[in-house]
Amino acid sequence: MWEIGLPLPFAASVPDHPTEAELAEACRRGNVRAFERLYQLHSARMKSLSFHLLGSRADAEDTVQEAFLKVCRAAHGFEGHSSLSTWIYRILINCCYDAIRKRQRLAESPAPPDFRAETNVPLKVSLQRALSALNERQRMVFLLFEVEGLRHSEIAAVLEVPEGTSRSWLFEAKSQLKRLLTEAPK
Amino acid sequence: MKFECGDLDRAMANSDLLPEAREHFKTCAACRREYRLWNEISTTARELHEEWDTPALWPAIRETLQAERKPEVFWWKQWKTWAIAAALAIALAVPLRMWRHSVLTTPTAQTSSSATPDFLTEQALHEVETSEAAYRRSIEKLSELAAPKLAAASSPAVVNEKERLSLLDSAIAETRANVASNRFNIRLQTALADLYRQKQETLHEILNHDAKN
Repeated sequence: MWEIGLPLPFAASVPDHPTEAELAEACRRGNVRAFERLYQLHSARMKSLSFHLLGSRADAEDTVQEAFLKVCRAAHGFEGHSSLSTWIYRILINCCYDAIRKRQRLAESPAPPDFRAETNVPLKVSLQRALSALNERQRMVFLLFEVEGLRHSEIAAVLEVPEGTSRSWLFEAKSQLKRLLTEAPK
Repeated sequence: MKFECGDLDRAMANSDLLPEAREHFKTCAACRREYRLWNEISTTARELHEEWDTPALWPAIRETLQAERKPEVFWWKQWKTWAIAAALAIALAVPLRMWRHSVLTTPTAQTSSSATPDFLTEQALHEVETSEAAYRRSIEKLSELAAPKLAAASSPAVVNEKERLSLLDSAIAETRANVASNRFNIRLQTALADLYRQKQETLHEILNHDAKN
C-alpha cells in the first residue's frame, strides 16, 4: 500500500528503490529528487482524497500543492516518529480542513443536498452524494479505507486514534450510508 | 446461538459472525439484500477514487521550492565581505599611519637607523647641529673680520655684497626658525647649510675685494 519501489532512473542522488528510511533521509537533506519521488508515490491518492473532501479538482490540486510545499519545507525536521507517508497525509488533511474553514468563512455553506436513494441513479453517484451527509470523522475514515485503500493501522496513525476507533468509525460510516441509500425518498 | 435479523449489524462489524449470517441469508431475503448493499458500498467506493493528470503540478511545486531556496554563495564571493574587509583595512590603516608618523617625529624614537630619507635620525641631527654651530661660529668670525669693510663700503660691488649678505641673513633667520619647528627635516637642514655656504662665499668675496683691487 505504501510501497516505494517504483523505478526512478532520473533521481541520480536517490536510490532506484529507496526504502522509506532512505527516502525520509533524502527528504530531510532537502533533496528535490526525493521530494519528486515522494510526489510520484503519493500525489494521486492525495489528489483523490482532497477532491472528495473539497469537491473540486482545482481545489484539490491547490491543496495538494500547498501540502507538498509544507512537507518539503518541514522535511528537515521530520523525526521519523511516524512513517513518512503517515506524516504527509496528516499534513494534507490539515490543509484540506484549513481550506474548508476558509471557504466557510468566505461564504455560507450551501444547504446539504438530498442524498436519499434515487432508484434511477447509479449507486456510485448516490454514494458520492451520500458521503456528504456523513460527519467529518466517518467520511474521513470511509474515504481513507474504502476509497483510497489505506489499512486501519495506517488510518489510525494518520488520524492519531486507536486502530479500534478507526474500525468503529468505518462501521458507523457504512451503517449510515446503508441507511441513507435504502431510505425511501419522501 | 440462533442468528436473527437484528444480529445483522453485529455480523457486519464482527467477521466471526459471518458464517452464521450467511446461513441466515439463505432464508431471509431482506437481510440478504442488506448484506449485498453493504458489500456493494465497499465495491462501489473503490470506483470513487479519482485520478486525473496534472502535468503542471509538480513543476509548480519544484519551481516554488527552488525560488524559496537561496543559492549557496561562498563568503569570498560576496561583495559585502570585501566591502567590510576594505572598510576594516582603512579603519586600521589611518590610525596606524598616524601612530607611525608620531613615532617617527618623536626624538626618542629616532634611534632607529631605518628612518625615512626625509627625516634625520637623532644621531645624524646631532652631528648636523654640531657642524652647523661650528660653521656658524666660523662665519661669525668672518663677519667680524668683514664688518669694518662693510661699514666703510664705498664701491658698488661691496655695497651689492652688503645687500646680498643682508638678504642671506634674513633667509638664514627664516630657515633657522623653520628648522627649529621641524628639526628632523633634512631638506630644511640642507637649505640652511646652503645659505651658510653662500654667506661664507660672500664674506670671502668682500674680504678678498681689496686684495684683488
